[in-house]
Amino acid sequence: MDFAIKFAFDIMAFTSVMVLIVLGLGVIASMMGIFNFAHGELVLLGAYTVYLCDEHGLGAWTGVILAPFVVAAVGLALERTIIRRFYATPIIAMLGTYAIGLIIREIVRGLLGGHYKAIPEPISGAFAIGGLEFSIWRSFIIITTLAVIAGCYLLLARTSIGLRVRGALENPMLARACGISTGRLYALTFAFGAALAGLAGALIVPLYALSADIGIRFLVQAFLSVMLGGVGTFEGPVLGAAAVGGMAAGLPWVVIPVLADPLVFVIALAIVRLRPQGFITVGRL
Amino acid sequence: MTGPNLGRRGFLSSAAALSAAGWVGSVAGGLVLRPTWAHAAGPIKMGIATDITGAIAPSGNANWQVAQFAVEEINKAGGVLGKPIELYLEDTASDPKIAVGNVRKLIQERHVDVVLGGITSAMRQAIKDPIVNRGKTLYIYPQLYEGQECTKFLYNTGPTPAQQCDRLIPYLIKTLGKKRFAMPSANYVWPQLLNKYARKVIEANGGEVVFEEYYPLDQAEYSATIGKIKDGKVDCVFMTIIPPGLQPFVKQLYEAGFQKNGGVLTCVYYDENLLNYHPAEEMEGLVSCLDYFQAVDDPFSKKLQEGYAKKFPGTKYLFTAGSAATGMYRGVKFYEAAVKATGGKLGREEVAAALDKAVLTEGPGGGAEMVPGHYHAKMNMYIAVCKSDAGKTHYDIIDKASMVDPREC
Repeated sequence: MDFAIKFAFDIMAFTSVMVLIVLGLGVIASMMGIFNFAHGELVLLGAYTVYLCDEHGLGAWTGVILAPFVVAAVGLALERTIIRRFYATPIIAMLGTYAIGLIIREIVRGLLGGHYKAIPEPISGAFAIGGLEFSIWRSFIIITTLAVIAGCYLLLARTSIGLRVRGALENPMLARACGISTGRLYALTFAFGAALAGLAGALIVPLYALSADIGIRFLVQAFLSVMLGGVGTFEGPVLGAAAVGGMAAGLPWVVIPVLADPLVFVIALAIVRLRPQGFITVGRL
Repeated sequence: MTGPNLGRRGFLSSAAALSAAGWVGSVAGGLVLRPTWAHAAGPIKMGIATDITGAIAPSGNANWQVAQFAVEEINKAGGVLGKPIELYLEDTASDPKIAVGNVRKLIQERHVDVVLGGITSAMRQAIKDPIVNRGKTLYIYPQLYEGQECTKFLYNTGPTPAQQCDRLIPYLIKTLGKKRFAMPSANYVWPQLLNKYARKVIEANGGEVVFEEYYPLDQAEYSATIGKIKDGKVDCVFMTIIPPGLQPFVKQLYEAGFQKNGGVLTCVYYDENLLNYHPAEEMEGLVSCLDYFQAVDDPFSKKLQEGYAKKFPGTKYLFTAGSAATGMYRGVKFYEAAVKATGGKLGREEVAAALDKAVLTEGPGGGAEMVPGHYHAKMNMYIAVCKSDAGKTHYDIIDKASMVDPREC
């Protein structure tokens, strides 16, 4: 029983990591129709921000708080200069964002000399409930993820900004005719997605240590999550990420770990085959 | 580079790191380091084929720097019987496909007398044929590895599974009293063959392997494994996971309270580079076994480190054992000793015959000697335990075994 609780906690923590990473990707894919292959590197930049703050004596906390803003600024700059040229051609956008990602990743690799850097948790240690110990930082990630999901949902579903975003998504021409600046809205959406990536990077870097590849290792699973959940909704990618994260953490119990990895893909692709629209097909934002 | 000042020096070292990472001024065309003086009979041409770019770049750059350092020492002391050594670098780019072409360049265009390098076993397997068979050239492989490499004209200067396990495992079982072993491993050849050997030693010493499991190299989540470690009442984790899958495993093991409850984590490639890979508390008590640690109390090794630090001030690429840098140093010196023994002749057969019984009286961690007919070297092995002081980690040497037999071939 003890172990089951602990295991459930671990799976939940890993699922939260997946959801955090997928959120930004999902927002950009759903709202703008851009599959952002540089998403992993935006996650990396968030992680790198924490590292820089920690190195320069500002503390890891400062880094965690700064990361979303720094990465949002990077995202905004990217959107204004490069991404906006790709809205008409989503396939080219994939290649373009992939190139951006490659450039960021290799610059960071050079700066790190190819090494890994351990980043301490801003709050380390564990707390005990009924004789069971739980990592404080993993709990913090779970709570933050839930808060971010709730916040995003409220922002998109309950505010006038959300209404405009949804309007621009549904029918850009009509939205523009109504006086909504879709260009500005897209820029903000991209910056928002980037900020989420930055936050994800900042939160996960104490768990995985900083390296140039910290983001890319999750990218394929993140895309799978978006596919599984369905593009065009907010809940879809979140559910998809939860499913993929849960499977990735749970399957090594049942099959040998080397098989678990491909099995996640097989199962997910089978589901996508049966439900090509993803989990969520009604009640789109 | 630490500290808040990104001054000129900081900028330069960053720029150097960028160029080392291969995207500023790459070494695509190869690189030659000529000695400052010449000899009528021409120089000895030494080829270095190592991973300057790609995933293994931190180790590869350390190898290249150590080769430069060792060769500079030799040339300063008058060369090998008066002949200077000329260094030729080719980048193997952490990619065996690229490596084969570049290594061929060393042999066919540069006509080197010997090639040193390769870090991963995949790389060794890929480049040994172009060097030894088709290239008819001597090859020296510097990294600790899984053993069983008995190719003629291929000399291994890093430790073998026997050297890393024969002393370490009895220490874990007899001295520390650990009996139940788990072997979580990355899924490739080195862990598989090392585990096979380690399992024999564990069982011969009265220990038991509870499970042996292989993971994709970038696995991010290990709760199932941690569960098996708890369920199986494992008290010693013999780990061969490598980055990037490494850090989440060590963290989850620590969070599960494994060390706190008396468990011992051991891993035989942990050197000084790895001290930065985990937070200090997770490293505390980790047991490693290598041919050299910076904590080894040996005047010659200390002098080497000082010289290296002087040549490469503030470098990111340390002179350590886990990255094959010590094997590289030994390789260069073994070759020097062999050429001295042939009286300056550079023919492959003659040098190989001399190399086969070459002896080094000193080196990182002490001397080393080739075991005649076995292509591997006897060397000192050290068991070290990681200690953390106020958030800073270092190794304490707790055992030294002199001139351990490689037991290969």
